[in-house]
Amino acid sequence: MPSPIQTPKFLIQQRWLFSKPVRHGVNSRFFFRHFRASQLISDPVTLAPSSPPFSQILTIREALISRQRKAVEIAEEYFTRLNQTEPLLKSFLHVSENVMRDAEEIDKKIARNEELGILAGVLVGVKDNLCTLNMPSTGGSRILENYRPPFDATAVRMVRERDAILIGKTNMDEFGMGSSTEASSFQITANPWDVSRVPGGSSGGSSAAVAARQCAVSLGSDSGGSVRQPASFCGVVGLKPTYGRVSRYGLMAYASSMDAVGCFASSVMDAAILLRAISGHDTQDATSCKCEVPDYTTELVPKDLLGSEPLKGLRVGVIRETLGDGVDTGVTSTIQAAASHLEEIGCTVTEVSLSSFSLGLPSYYILASSEASSNLSRYDGVRYGNQVLADELRSLYGVSRANGFGPEVKRRILMGTYALSAGYYDQYYKRAQQVRTLVQKSFKKALGEHDILISPAAPTTAYKIGEKVDDPLAMYAGDIMTVNVNLAGLPALVLPCGFVQSGDVGLPVGLQLIGSAFDEAKLLRVGHIFEQTLQSPRFVPPLVDGLTM
Amino acid sequence: MASSSFFSFSRIPAYLSRTTLKRRFLSSRCSPFVRPPDVAQLAESARISLTANEIEEFGPKIKQVIDWFGQLQAVNLESIEPALRADTGGSDNTRADEPEIFGNREAMIAAVSSYSEPFIKVPKVLNKE
Repeated sequence: MPSPIQTPKFLIQQRWLFSKPVRHGVNSRFFFRHFRASQLISDPVTLAPSSPPFSQILTIREALISRQRKAVEIAEEYFTRLNQTEPLLKSFLHVSENVMRDAEEIDKKIARNEELGILAGVLVGVKDNLCTLNMPSTGGSRILENYRPPFDATAVRMVRERDAILIGKTNMDEFGMGSSTEASSFQITANPWDVSRVPGGSSGGSSAAVAARQCAVSLGSDSGGSVRQPASFCGVVGLKPTYGRVSRYGLMAYASSMDAVGCFASSVMDAAILLRAISGHDTQDATSCKCEVPDYTTELVPKDLLGSEPLKGLRVGVIRETLGDGVDTGVTSTIQAAASHLEEIGCTVTEVSLSSFSLGLPSYYILASSEASSNLSRYDGVRYGNQVLADELRSLYGVSRANGFGPEVKRRILMGTYALSAGYYDQYYKRAQQVRTLVQKSFKKALGEHDILISPAAPTTAYKIGEKVDDPLAMYAGDIMTVNVNLAGLPALVLPCGFVQSGDVGLPVGLQLIGSAFDEAKLLRVGHIFEQTLQSPRFVPPLVDGLTM
Repeated sequence: MASSSFFSFSRIPAYLSRTTLKRRFLSSRCSPFVRPPDVAQLAESARISLTANEIEEFGPKIKQVIDWFGQLQAVNLESIEPALRADTGGSDNTRADEPEIFGNREAMIAAVSSYSEPFIKVPKVLNKE
């Protein structure tokens, strides 16, 4: 099969890294060291050297505190970029009318020498399934069109308390059910790298907004990969915390045993800062953990302070089932190159097999559909949401819901209703929960022998809009890399690690790092070092490159 | 084993070919133990009034996915405990059994379509025939 990497324009610089003999310990049985540099030869003429990603949050903070820039100026810059790119991208369902006013408030605080929250002046996008007090929250659904919640989600409240400026609500697949954002009832969001392609889903709007620098960071949600897969498709950092790390209060429930509020950023440092800002126990969420929130940024040291093998001793396990058949060869090569990079910076990289890996996908869909069928029963148009009048209550429910829900949501509710029907619970839901136990056990074992596990975040790069809408199973198949992590409730970080050429365009590929429960600090440290030492062109889409700072 | 009619891969690129995906991720087995989904009945239970067109259109897609779910029937899960959720949470996360008034009651009530203090009005309830 011909390699998708034909006339590379966005490939990794300095291939000499691979012609050096790769150091490996006695126990390393890893086959990546045989990977040949000749397969990824770059054309030095077309590549520009690039500096590693930098923290937008800290840059903004520095500029404000030193009085070099005002919050209003910074807000205007992002706002202008948003307005320039929105007609093409359509990442936002609602743009806040209060952006400039909020920025002025920050400037006033600075003028009064008041202490600033860590997110002061930072423009944050919020996925539309997180309730926001002064902006509509639709969950991507017509049934909640124009709905304004009477409260802020805890994660939103915490971000506001740290002086962030909420720039708007981002587009998403309806109620989180989808992997491309095409199932939004309102609009389709385009991938900033190639506007004929999907940004991924369900948090496609949040991901595209960060990729296009329409905002500095954004909040999303991840029940089956909905932060990690769009992060991979859009070339940004995506973080799904441990289940229970961040309160789910105010996050419209989809699959309550797996939902997690997640972060998008253009650098690991920003993801770490945002995670710290939203984490913590909440009395309103009984599944939130009482454990302490560490400062995730303390171990993220600047690049020049890193030695030659900053990750020496770290044991990395590549999940065998995620490379090979069914995975795009370009994605496989890029992940292999990422693994080689990890070896270069000192990691011991070996393969690990997760025995129940492939069962995770049907198990996830059974559990998610079942839980969704229960969670979405609250949308009946009676206490909130759009109602279609009827003479009789059952019709009111039936028609309001039929009118308000899109086709994918309807199908999943029906599948969930089936799986939970009397007599079928044992066949489907219970068996899926048993598979969940197997998945949890196999991760525990693998993470006992390795510090982190790695895999691609998706089997392909971003596909064309419309390509998979008519085939649900083909759409579901794309979640294979991410769902097992949700079943186990583990944290995972996706970092852009390379590109696959597709015609004229280089499409980003994300590397997924999976850690043990509540071990986000380790993931972020590894991710930060990986990102800072990776020789790569900037992960800024060409569309936006001329517009960015 | 699933017949080829269950999968339509016409729009899927070669690297996600029918054979690779089917073999690796989407193998399906029909279970003899459960009745196939009756979409109209399910819609009734879920209180969603589907049109005849929707019932016809959804039927095959739902059946396809449920057949795919069926592969779990073939797995030996004897003596495996079902996991309710991720085993990451703490054990005692209860709060005091005391009522708390929601702060923004007016906004909540304003969201109700048909409110006639102190009732939320709904149409009459007919008994199922």
